[in-house]
Amino acid sequence: MKALMSLGALIGVAGLLLLGGMTFDIVPSTTIRLVEGYMPMQLLFEVGCYVMGFAGLSYILNAMGIGIPRFWQGIGFWAFFLLYLKYRVYPPIPFSVRAMYGTVSLVAVFMWVSANEEDWNKFKQPIMNVLDAQTGMNKLLRYAYLVILPILIGGFSYNAMMPKSEEPIELRTVHPAPPASTKVHGKTYTLQTSQNPYRVNPEGKYDQEYTNANIVEQGMGRLMKPNANPWDENSQGYLKYVREGGEIFFQNCHFCHGDNLNGRGLHAFAFNPIPANFTDPGTIAQLQETFIFWRVSKGGIGLPNEGFPWASVMPPWEQHLTVDEIWKVILFEYWHTGYYPRTWD
Amino acid sequence: MMERTTQKAGFLTAAAFGVLLGAGFGSMVASAQDVPEGFKKGDLAPPPSAEMIEAGKRVYFTKCVWCHGVDGAGEGPGADRLWPRPRNFNQGTFKIRHTASGELPLFDAKKPTEGQNDLFETVTHGLPGSAMPPWEGILTEEQRLQVLSFVTTELVKDRQFTDKETETQTVLKLGELQPKQATEESIKRGSELVVEKKCVECHGMEGRGDGNAFNLKDDWGFSIQPADWHKCWNFRGSRQDPYNVRNIFRTFSTGINGTPMPSFADNTSVDERWDIANFVNSLCERDALGNPLPIDPLTDKPKINFVIPSDPVEGEIPTDLENEAWQKAPKRYVAMGGQITHKPRNFVNRIDDIWVRSLYNDQHIVYLVEWDDRTKSVAEGKLPWAPTEVNIDVKEQDPKTGEEGSIAAHQNNYTVYNDAIAIQTAVKWKELPAPIKPRYLFGTNEQFPVDIVKWEADGSLHAFLGTGWDQDFQQRYDYEENMKLLKAEWKNGRWYVMIQRPVGNKEDQDYDEDTFFEVGQYIPTVFFAWDGHNGDAGRKMAVSAFYYTFMNPPIPQETYIYPVVIAVGVVLLEGWVLTRRANKKKGKTL
Repeated sequence: MKALMSLGALIGVAGLLLLGGMTFDIVPSTTIRLVEGYMPMQLLFEVGCYVMGFAGLSYILNAMGIGIPRFWQGIGFWAFFLLYLKYRVYPPIPFSVRAMYGTVSLVAVFMWVSANEEDWNKFKQPIMNVLDAQTGMNKLLRYAYLVILPILIGGFSYNAMMPKSEEPIELRTVHPAPPASTKVHGKTYTLQTSQNPYRVNPEGKYDQEYTNANIVEQGMGRLMKPNANPWDENSQGYLKYVREGGEIFFQNCHFCHGDNLNGRGLHAFAFNPIPANFTDPGTIAQLQETFIFWRVSKGGIGLPNEGFPWASVMPPWEQHLTVDEIWKVILFEYWHTGYYPRTWD
Repeated sequence: MMERTTQKAGFLTAAAFGVLLGAGFGSMVASAQDVPEGFKKGDLAPPPSAEMIEAGKRVYFTKCVWCHGVDGAGEGPGADRLWPRPRNFNQGTFKIRHTASGELPLFDAKKPTEGQNDLFETVTHGLPGSAMPPWEGILTEEQRLQVLSFVTTELVKDRQFTDKETETQTVLKLGELQPKQATEESIKRGSELVVEKKCVECHGMEGRGDGNAFNLKDDWGFSIQPADWHKCWNFRGSRQDPYNVRNIFRTFSTGINGTPMPSFADNTSVDERWDIANFVNSLCERDALGNPLPIDPLTDKPKINFVIPSDPVEGEIPTDLENEAWQKAPKRYVAMGGQITHKPRNFVNRIDDIWVRSLYNDQHIVYLVEWDDRTKSVAEGKLPWAPTEVNIDVKEQDPKTGEEGSIAAHQNNYTVYNDAIAIQTAVKWKELPAPIKPRYLFGTNEQFPVDIVKWEADGSLHAFLGTGWDQDFQQRYDYEENMKLLKAEWKNGRWYVMIQRPVGNKEDQDYDEDTFFEVGQYIPTVFFAWDGHNGDAGRKMAVSAFYYTFMNPPIPQETYIYPVVIAVGVVLLEGWVLTRRANKKKGKTL
């Protein structure tokens, strides 16, 4: 038990030091990066580590006879969690969401301190002591609270009432409902039945299985399969079209969607909302190829009315590319991210 | 650590011996005494293993080939629409190094140590201001070393990283040098040195890169431009740490291979180089208190605040930039990207940010827009189109690889049009329920148009109504009479333009055509900028995202009253709690 608790304490202290160091720029703030896509699991794991660390610490301090009262433990952990959400998570989450998490964690802390009568009494003892003011110290504290609380609350309300120019929060429809069909370069494509004409095996037959087997590998780097190089001169069918799609992508799309298709292109920093990140499992991995075909062809200006706020510079690519080129780019995007397009069956 | 230093010293003596021997053959190798101050002799790294090279090929053909090309000659499919162009690896010319000018960079496939592996750090942090992104977090450390093993052995064709006969390594001891304090004295000395060392000939009197902007070419004959010292986040060697003076010191000491930027190691002392680095660093944009701007780690550019606050002033709005009201007005960084939505597209926009301040009084609102533009461009003669024309036929350039007309090759040969700036605000924005805004480019339609105020370098200031991206503007003559150009000045690579317009009222203005500015409301605002020397005209321009103009209301009286009332309430509440507790206790003891 003791060894286990010590281990927990060790992990916790190491983690806390690292976190503090990163927040105050003592060690590079990139020492432990939050990786997109894995972030929720990473955060849960980190918080788990800290809970373990705190439990271990409190056990050891108790064993050494300098235990921290339950009251301060509860408040301390809650404050830690709030600070963690504010300073650790990047990109920052809005205050309203933080407030929600804060409330939930407050309830959790309350449940913990009031798990049984004895604990609850222990928890509220310090409050009662100050109210009763039996000792000189508590008397002093009581007067201090009497003065400081009104000043603090008055100050906060003054701050809240000062007119501020904070950016209004904007909601956004991520994937608007697609139309049944779309007309591109004079031809009508029914979204339910259309297929990517370049998703073919070397013999030229439509072959979902073959193409899915030749996309890049999932995992760090997302590298191509060792024997499926689109730049191989002998490559036919799917891989040849992937290369052609890539050429179009790197002449037209990478400016916004980025060299790694993660929405961090050359011009991306200027736009809001930022361009779509195709490596995020929430974008093209969730959609059919025909949906992408519609979005690519019609661009931001072709968004339906519910697709507000329309603050999109996505070009209607039918103005710049042929239908074949659009299909090839889509093929490339799925190849490069290693995702399978959704299908109707 | 001690051991390492002695080991290094050992290498140094060995190297010195080698040099003495080599001198017998009359070789060109510099002797130990000739090493410039702050440098020391280094050793060539061992070659990477065959497995590393093979694995690197897979990384290269997944990620890099698209810009750098199959042969590494910087001619991938993406190359021709990029400026600066992707690097041609064949000659072994690399920009950011710790090694002396002309030498190969530091690279060791087994040692990804900071400060000792130039190529690894370039791949890790990318080259800000170019299309080369940071690969950290995308490729593992191992993968980055693998791909560099491939590039340095297979794609660098004219030189050998391991050839002791032809290659030397003279390494800047950056880790051992301590930066000089950026005191006023040091910065002042630096400002004198940049004139003495002729830095200003290319970088310009204020360091905005406007000195010799249009005659510089790189080793391959492509046009390049000197760095703008006021945008340190665009320094190629800034390593995602733009305000770090060491990066400037390094670039200044080693030069940038393949470009006209030489090394100043031979004609400046280390002390002088720190002064210059401190001065250059002091020029980079800072906030009102002189602190570095917060940098967004996702974009490596300054963090963006999408609200442009406008402060109220009593009486006339001052036109003097030194006036206290302007000095106090919050300055906003507005990021600009190329307009690549509709033809003609602008892949290589040269204006990548503008700075906006605003003031208002009961009659007018004034925007002060400042931006760096290396060239003052005013079209000669009359332009072949009317100011209202939108669908202008300017060349977007043929992007075919190797052809004469590609964008990067022809940077200098554009016809010069007017530099210009435009502010687009939504008309009837109150009728659009938030967060809906008009269509981004030049408005939605006749029902939801936009109000465009455009200034051009020929001195004209026009008001237009935009009703769609491909619809010609309608000129609003009535409104133009009420506008005023308070300032339009180009000085040392920077434009200062101040535009005054009415806040709007029902009597003089047309609600269906002009934007009405209301205090305390968020008014959707977009900025467009044109660089005449870049061939920008019509839709070929730089664009911002949607920002908001927000006229700060004067502080209402309630702000002072309510907090006091609340504080008194809290005191009463405290009294009540204490009394209750006391009574309860009394009850118990009784």
